[in-house]
Amino acid sequence: MSGSNVWHRSREKLRRFPEFFAQCAEEAAAYGKCVAATTVSKQELKKDHCAKEFAALKTCFSNAAKKNCK
Amino acid sequence: MIGGATYGRLLRASASRWRVAEGRRRSSRSVFDRSMKKKQKEWAGSGRDTRKYDYLRDEVGSRVADRVYDVARTFPLALEIGAGRGHVAQHLSRDAVERLFVTDISEAALNVGGEMRWHALAADEEFLPFRENSFDLVLSSMSLHWVNDLPGALRQIQAVLKPDGVFIGAMAGGETLYQLRCSLQLAETEREGGFSPRVSPYTAVADLGNLLGQAGFNMLTVDTDEVQVYYPGIMEVMMDLQGMGESNCAWNRRSVLHRDTILAAAAVYKGASPCHAPRRHLKQAKAAKRGSATVSFGDLSKINRNGDDE
Repeated sequence: MSGSNVWHRSREKLRRFPEFFAQCAEEAAAYGKCVAATTVSKQELKKDHCAKEFAALKTCFSNAAKKNCK
Repeated sequence: MIGGATYGRLLRASASRWRVAEGRRRSSRSVFDRSMKKKQKEWAGSGRDTRKYDYLRDEVGSRVADRVYDVARTFPLALEIGAGRGHVAQHLSRDAVERLFVTDISEAALNVGGEMRWHALAADEEFLPFRENSFDLVLSSMSLHWVNDLPGALRQIQAVLKPDGVFIGAMAGGETLYQLRCSLQLAETEREGGFSPRVSPYTAVADLGNLLGQAGFNMLTVDTDEVQVYYPGIMEVMMDLQGMGESNCAWNRRSVLHRDTILAAAAVYKGASPCHAPRRHLKQAKAAKRGSATVSFGDLSKINRNGDDE
């Protein structure tokens, strides 16, 4: 969406999210699987339960974003 | 355009009702920030590609219009509330409706297409500025789920209708946006240690039937339509909801959604096995005697859409 106010500008910034996210399908799947596992087991989902998987996802995502901003 | 005298009469005579409605507002429980909803609709309506987000409302609007034709009457005077670009009105023709008023809380959104001649004014669905027993038909598509005092709004609709008038409406309810809600909840829990309400609360089908009855409608029909839209991911869902002016405006919403949480939610949404929508049952309320009002209830279960955006 284009427009002049902060609402439109923040939408512009987020517009490329799917593009970068698509490059991290593996890491995303691993994180998603980790979270999903807690919903079927008796385990309660706690903070940072999947921190390792998320860190990998975040690194991948940041790299994808950096690469594309060059 | 309508003759000036008639238009004025419809508005002036409702002045005293307006004051009563104001008093009622202060005492009723306020879930939604209506002025924020107006702003959201105005931002959404003012974007250059705003029509790109009409697909859902157009679909639901056409289903509501189908119900109008099912009634097989010509309605001399009709009102569409929360009309936006006249998502129901654009599907109507003069053999169904002779004269049409449209209202929306946001002036920017109000711009009707189609062959109908219409008279527009900005008005909140909760404060209809019309005289009692004026309209033969009231329509509402995809706006009542943001109303604070739904019983009150339904009563006002009933009041502005003539005794044999008909109300046909559709609103989001039940398990709408279940996947989105679930993904955000899990992600927020894992990333931040707790979660807050991100998706607004919806009315249950059973409750809607009761509310309509209490508002003085009879011969009710309440049913559930499932509208499924497929999206590539959570960001597309959220961007489209925002583009439709359907962002959350509940007072209890958190103003911040951390980027990490969005990223996490995107991953959960993709995999989404814990968030697959539960089975739904089609519910049908029994119709009573002669036709005084019918309502159809649109239930949006999941929203997924093939985003082929520019």
